[in-house]
Amino acid sequence: MKKLCYLLLIMLLVGAYPALHAQTGTMPLDPDTAYSDTIPTEIVLRAEDTPNDAGSAITVTWECNDNLPSGLITIVRINGEEESIVAEDLMLTKEQVRDTDVADDKEYSYYGIITSPDNKYYRTKDSNPAKSEAQWFNTDRTDSFVAVLFITLVFVWFIQQAKKGKSFYIRKINGLDAIEEAVGRSTEMGKPIMYILGIGYVTDIPTIAGLTILSRVAKKAAEYDTSVLVPCYDPVVMTTAQEVVKESFTEAGRPDAYQKEDTMYITQDQFGYAAGVDGMMMREKPGAVFLQGLFFAESLILAETGHSIGAIQIAGTTETAQLPFFVAACDYTLIGEEMMAASVYMDKNPLMLGSIVAEDMVKVLIIVILFIGLLLGILGPGLGIDIFNNWFEWLIRII
Amino acid sequence: MIKGKGIPLTITFLTGVIIIVTFFIPHSPFGEFEQTALRWYSIIAGFTMLLGVDSLLRSHIKKFRKKDNNWEYSIVVFIAFAVIVTTGIIATVRTGNAFNTDTSFMYIYNHMIIPLQSTMFSLLAFFIASAAYRAFRARNTDATLLLITAIIVMLGRVPISDRFIPAVPALTEWIMSVPQMAAKRGIIIGIALGAIGVSLRIILGIERSYLS
Amino acid sequence: MSISTNIWVWIAALLTLAIYSFLYKDNVFYKIAEKILVGVSIGYLLSVYWHNTIIAKVWNPLVQDKNFLVIIPLILGLLMFSRLFKGRAYISRIPIAFVVGTATGMSVPSSFENLFKQVQGTMPTVFSFGNIVILVGVITTLVYFFFSLEHKGFIGKVSKVGITFIMIGFGAAFGATIMARISLFIGRIQFLLRDWLGVIQ
Repeated sequence: MKKLCYLLLIMLLVGAYPALHAQTGTMPLDPDTAYSDTIPTEIVLRAEDTPNDAGSAITVTWECNDNLPSGLITIVRINGEEESIVAEDLMLTKEQVRDTDVADDKEYSYYGIITSPDNKYYRTKDSNPAKSEAQWFNTDRTDSFVAVLFITLVFVWFIQQAKKGKSFYIRKINGLDAIEEAVGRSTEMGKPIMYILGIGYVTDIPTIAGLTILSRVAKKAAEYDTSVLVPCYDPVVMTTAQEVVKESFTEAGRPDAYQKEDTMYITQDQFGYAAGVDGMMMREKPGAVFLQGLFFAESLILAETGHSIGAIQIAGTTETAQLPFFVAACDYTLIGEEMMAASVYMDKNPLMLGSIVAEDMVKVLIIVILFIGLLLGILGPGLGIDIFNNWFEWLIRII
Repeated sequence: MIKGKGIPLTITFLTGVIIIVTFFIPHSPFGEFEQTALRWYSIIAGFTMLLGVDSLLRSHIKKFRKKDNNWEYSIVVFIAFAVIVTTGIIATVRTGNAFNTDTSFMYIYNHMIIPLQSTMFSLLAFFIASAAYRAFRARNTDATLLLITAIIVMLGRVPISDRFIPAVPALTEWIMSVPQMAAKRGIIIGIALGAIGVSLRIILGIERSYLS
Repeated sequence: MSISTNIWVWIAALLTLAIYSFLYKDNVFYKIAEKILVGVSIGYLLSVYWHNTIIAKVWNPLVQDKNFLVIIPLILGLLMFSRLFKGRAYISRIPIAFVVGTATGMSVPSSFENLFKQVQGTMPTVFSFGNIVILVGVITTLVYFFFSLEHKGFIGKVSKVGITFIMIGFGAAFGATIMARISLFIGRIQFLLRDWLGVIQ
């Protein structure tokens, strides 16, 4: 305890220094900035349909004249006889504006009024006429489209293999084997277990992964006849968690032991939730604490309190900023993808194992691409060989 | 039939596939489907909030009735909840919007919720110290590696460190932009694949425990 | 400078101290502060949901804009209440299935976008020692996440390098956060000493 106080003191002193010496200031403007008198009529506006959108938009672009970097431009739309302002006093350096107030399949052209820093106005020539239309395919997302098709095929193929009876291996995941021990120990001590799903919503995949792990943990707890406390941050998560725990108890043949109130709502306030769960931990003293889901700053508040009551803690999240705290404070931590794969590991269902192999195949593909990138990087940008340089750029572009 | 998982599984499959497909189609009405679905979700969540409030209050009523341990504190929850809801209603009736700055509703928010939240948040100063101390005591390679890097980066982030050990800020910069970046990228790629795995298992109906 | 006479500052200061008392042990002051935070925040959030969801996303579109499409999520939302009726809770699986379908559907393409960004960022556009180390770090970290291969022999060694990168990365993130957390504490102490007790300026 004494050492801990010293450590805290040192950290406080180190931390206090920048906080106390923090200064705010503004960068001085250059008083000698000179502007050219050149009339910037060479600024040419180009209009074209905004690509990959749902229509009703034309993008107007121009190239900024070096002589007038801090001028302003007002873009005017010409629609037959009618003229209307699209955007007023934009920085010339913006070089682009989107007109989202146009009808599809109708021609519009544009001109700009430039205001120079000495308050002179110049009118550009009219742009080319352009029509807006909606697209049926977003070409910016072609790579993702190909990737989705590819991974779905790989998935389905491996799942088919599993259906045909091929068996797949899954490596040991530290922490998951400890679940049985954690639940068993809680039972021996006559204590409940606590399952914290973090502050994510059902729309977050880590929360869904947390729920899938909960179903396996709750089943174990039901087999051991131990209660599972699930304090929730989001009401939809709570509702789903109640269903998950109930079904797990039923599957374990203990529907009578299911207590709806054990999966309860706390509050949807990040630190209110942390305060409530901390208080609950101190009073209920669970023998095992699971922290599986999406966690932010409250991660360490919960994990340290869990440690202080002597619970076995098994954590897991995809938040890279919180993982270090879990690693430091918990007995076991499932890092990112390990957490996503946890339910498969616990279930060992061949179809699910097939999907894990599919994920690994994509990893191999990524490693191969990275190796090719490394090779081309050495030969192209590294040794300056033109052809490899071109190939390297092509590779970057397709990714 | 309706009690089984058939209908929910079909709904998940169809919604999942439609959302994936419409991600690539900007044309109306497909382009806005994702946003519409999210808006629908927020409406569902809005109604479910009442179930949350019901769950919280019900558990405290039960505690209060049964005179469980710490039942006295359930009264604090009732009072706090009743006061904020009442002030919210009064503020809405009087000023048309409870969130106007000079209402008692917002006074409670600014002088009770905000300080309580920031104090809970600041507890991390103590917890980060105790976690670091524990990592310091753990005699395994991983914990040592974590702690040494943490100390270097902590010192490197302090403006005075370059006066004593000039190499530290540069080393910190390198650690942050090279090994830290590499690990983060690797983990994020893994997470992305893991998320795709979880999603496809659910959409294809292999993983159905969330419906239970 | 003198001690504050503002009742709200006193409330905030006492609540602050009540939360800090938790560091010693769970006690009556912390329990009160905790319950106040839970009760007040849930009431506050209820108001936020009322204004931002029920009024803004259901009532206004339905009554003012006559947008009858809102009836679908309205029904889905109401189906959630089936949980309150014994034996009818299974109906709530329908809105849950819709929400999970939406989440998983959105995650597939967006995860790919994220993945491509990371792979692209890893490519050594400028040839340097640092960039090669990043590439090695990413590859070995990925090998650590191989699940269908036993981590023995060569794969075992490579994944060991991967976990080393991961631990260094975690240490760096840990170290970089310490300062920010300490300054939060300093902020609260400043509030107590300046705004409440008036000891410092």
